[in-house]
Amino acid sequence: MHISEGVLSPAVLAGGAGLAVLGTAIGLKKMDYEAIPRVAILSAAFFVASLIRVPVGPVGLHLVLNGLLGLLLGWAAVPAILIALVLQALLFQFGGLTVLGVNTVIMAAPAVFCFYAYRPLLRRPGKPAAVGAFACGASAILLSGLLAAGALITTGEAFLQVAELALAAHIPVMIIEGIITLFIFRFIKKVRPEMLEGMYE
Amino acid sequence: MNKFQVRRVRFTHPKWLAKKPRIWNYQVLGFFLFLALGLFDSPALAHRVLVFAHATGDTIHTESKFVPDSPVRQGRVQVSDQKTGQVLVSGKTDEKGKFSFKIPSDAAAQKMDLKIVVAAGQGHQGEWLLKAAAYLPEAKAAPGATPPPSSPAASASIPAAPGAKTAAVDTHLLETTVNQALERQLAPINKQLAELAVRRTSLTDIIGGFGYILGFFGIWAYFQSKRKKDS
Repeated sequence: MHISEGVLSPAVLAGGAGLAVLGTAIGLKKMDYEAIPRVAILSAAFFVASLIRVPVGPVGLHLVLNGLLGLLLGWAAVPAILIALVLQALLFQFGGLTVLGVNTVIMAAPAVFCFYAYRPLLRRPGKPAAVGAFACGASAILLSGLLAAGALITTGEAFLQVAELALAAHIPVMIIEGIITLFIFRFIKKVRPEMLEGMYE
Repeated sequence: MNKFQVRRVRFTHPKWLAKKPRIWNYQVLGFFLFLALGLFDSPALAHRVLVFAHATGDTIHTESKFVPDSPVRQGRVQVSDQKTGQVLVSGKTDEKGKFSFKIPSDAAAQKMDLKIVVAAGQGHQGEWLLKAAAYLPEAKAAPGATPPPSSPAASASIPAAPGAKTAAVDTHLLETTVNQALERQLAPINKQLAELAVRRTSLTDIIGGFGYILGFFGIWAYFQSKRKKDS
């Protein structure tokens, strides 16, 4: 999901950077004082999630957790993901600094989208909330894969082919992320429901 | 006390036990255990493409893989001049992530440093810079190329051999043979060096990352709290 340096054209890079700055500004504005520790914890979770390998497929994939960040943070997921990506680029050489904007958009836009899309479902008690949490985790990955494929069209890779590949490669991760998001959502709802207050605003 | 009573009841009624949400704790524990295993099980560098190239004779061999160890299949290879960016050779890696090509005559003539970029699809890409010095001595020894300036000197230094010409051929042959043997011997070492050059993620990186995140949000919280107090 991290696009490497030197793959994309300057126009795409600039567009991604612009969108990332915009999203971060909105995220920081919406992030109030009480939310800061929560954002920090989830940023850290996102930062290490990429190191957790899911041993499937030819390459072996890693967790992303952007659905979870979206679910718990809403717009504040954008700065959280941005910071985690900066550190991943610097410390792990995942992606790179020039592709930072694009990578942020690829992972944060689905997070924000899922936050709004699944909020009504998550507010309801019992099964609908569980289904919503699973779908939130899974579809964030799917959307990220599609966004990455979209960014890669400009390099001459055929969109359908890339999208198909991304889809096939990410199905196991989608399922795993869905389950993880479901687990964490239910766990937090049980032991620390006040962490979910952002969902009920 | 209450807790104790509940526990006793539980053991006498297994059906009721199944309904209790207590089990969550084990699930959560198991879940984190699973994550921890995943974290420490792998060298944790998925998705980075490592390219390695070396020359034998007039051929350059490249090998590409995803770190830690799975070949890049059908990756698009592009070899270009480091200075001008002019593309000299392009092709695809095979099932083992390998791709070989003859040294382009332009590259040998102009002593180009070759930039070998392998695009593994879905935005993953790696590159390797093959310096002119690393492949050119072989190019010189290749038949058809201009004879290296060292070989006449070498033949001249052999004192009064009956056939000076055969001596020249012999040194030439010797040099080529030695070079080839050296290449064969050194290839694994070169490969290991290339792998060592890849920075692997260490625990320090991970913990450092946590530190940065906490520090950054700490600073943010500090300024927010100041603003809150001021207003």
